[in-house]
Amino acid sequence: MLFFQSLISGILIGGVYALAAMGMSLVFGVMNISNFAHGELMMLGMYMAYYLFTLLNIDPFLSLLIIMPLTFVFGYVIEKTMIDRVMDHPSENQILLTVGFGLIMSNSALLAFTSDPKILTTSYSSSSIALPGGISVSIPMLLSFLVTCILTAALYLFLAKSRTGMALRATSQNREAAQLMGINVSRMSAIAFGTGTLLAASAGAMIAQTYYIDPFAGHIFLLKSFTICVLGGLGSVIGAGIGGIIIGLAEAMSSAYLSSDWKDVLVFILFLAILLLRPQGLFGKKGEQ
Amino acid sequence: MKQSVVVIALFAAVMAALPGFLGDNPYIADILITILMMASLASAWNIVGGYAGQFSFGHAAYFGAGAYTTSILLTTLNPGIPVSIAAGVLVSCVIALLTGTIVFRLRGHYFALASIAVAEIVRLTVLNLDITGGAQGILVTKVSFGSLDLNSKVPFYYAMLFLLLVTLGISALIYRSRTGYYLLAIREDQDAAASLGINLYLFKNIALVISAAIASVAGSIYAVYISFIDTSTVLPLRLSIEIILTTIIGGIGTLWGPVLGAVLLVSLAEALRSNMIGEYLVNTGMVSEGSATGAFLKSNLAHAHVLVYGIITVLCILGLPKGILGFFRRKGEA
Repeated sequence: MLFFQSLISGILIGGVYALAAMGMSLVFGVMNISNFAHGELMMLGMYMAYYLFTLLNIDPFLSLLIIMPLTFVFGYVIEKTMIDRVMDHPSENQILLTVGFGLIMSNSALLAFTSDPKILTTSYSSSSIALPGGISVSIPMLLSFLVTCILTAALYLFLAKSRTGMALRATSQNREAAQLMGINVSRMSAIAFGTGTLLAASAGAMIAQTYYIDPFAGHIFLLKSFTICVLGGLGSVIGAGIGGIIIGLAEAMSSAYLSSDWKDVLVFILFLAILLLRPQGLFGKKGEQ
Repeated sequence: MKQSVVVIALFAAVMAALPGFLGDNPYIADILITILMMASLASAWNIVGGYAGQFSFGHAAYFGAGAYTTSILLTTLNPGIPVSIAAGVLVSCVIALLTGTIVFRLRGHYFALASIAVAEIVRLTVLNLDITGGAQGILVTKVSFGSLDLNSKVPFYYAMLFLLLVTLGISALIYRSRTGYYLLAIREDQDAAASLGINLYLFKNIALVISAAIASVAGSIYAVYISFIDTSTVLPLRLSIEIILTTIIGGIGTLWGPVLGAVLLVSLAEALRSNMIGEYLVNTGMVSEGSATGAFLKSNLAHAHVLVYGIITVLCILGLPKGILGFFRRKGEA
């Protein structure tokens, strides 16, 4: 029974990891930038959900309708005003810029909201569905998994069918060629970063009921998102989706059968193992590294 | 080379005489020791990050490995300080070699990402083991070294100064040596470097190991100095990032940039932490004390030094990507 319980909770949490990692992978694919402020963007989503709920009494899942457009615009503006200026700098400078931006975000949050962890409690926060065999499924986690599926499908349709989505994929495959085909690659970068921000913040808003909300809550998710992106192949959005589920499962299984103290260590060891054995990731093409 | 030797010697003479002028003020001594430590760490980072262009985001791991190995040995077997420091260097070099072996075959962002992963593995392992004291940390007391009074700050000042001078010496030596030219070639264009017969894998590892060894010694000295270590003081990601920022802000790839960065950032952090800046703004009448801004600055600026680091980093990357020293030098002069 422990196995099935871990299986279900692993898949559910993996879905949220996947959502955050897809945002990072999209940014990496289109812009070739590792976004070290990704965890802070999740933290932003957590606080937005928290304050929309406590001040305006909007359900965290409904508040996504407000959070998504706002964070998209936020990401778009950040890209246009800061990151666009370093697009042709060495990658280290790009990383440092996002590190600096992340420090500004987390420490501004520290000033604004203090370091006391906040807890978002709705009427259904701790309720769960009991399945036969003593397995329980947490309602907020189930809801966030369902919303994640909807968002993933929407993202997939957007990337596969819409003109902008095709332009994004073209930019991701070959920036110069895309530009020669008349695609405004600078605008694509801003859209990719905006979408990445939106996905990170949505993932944050959805786990706001499950995790403590504090200014540095995003840190651990930054590292997990990196692991997932590398596992799925850097830049592969689908790979990030599947990678998220795998990492969620690996974590749930290791805390069930090993100990929860070591589950994060296991994730990072897995990360190094992938780099050693299959650096292009499970779904990346060989030679891309 | 001659010029570097003269400048380093001059710097050594001034710094060695400094405690004599400042008298016995423990507060100033503590700030100076922190500056020397950050300058050593940033200079060490500069060898692998600045010269070889391989950005390590996990240097806290080497600092922490040194601090922990030394503390554990001193509180258990107690083989003396020099052996304990050497053991720390050994552990750090092993961690560095493991990281380098796995990651230096890859290019681009992978090293940056993997260095964080390794640092997190080290931090979480230390946190979960018993021998390291877990979250409680280790109290390093009853340590002696010859007839030195380890309750005074003076020996630690000279120890950190000595480490910094050695680090600067090694940096200057590497910079002017064949190895240094190889590292710069790797930084500028890996393919071109490889086509000239430079073993990328070997030389990146050499740079990383030297850098890790220095960071480890800094950690060991720090542990004995501060007498208490835990994961949040010697192994946090924040420390790794502060080391990078110090180098970047001072001037990456230059000999004196990391030292300049350490002087500026440590002083700035101290000025903010002691609320000197907040009080200055209020006292000079730039911000009135009764106003909301005044009250906000006075109560919060003390906690804002990391925020200020972030702002400086962003401005630095957007405005002075080569750091302060790099800005004043012509291109190509390094």
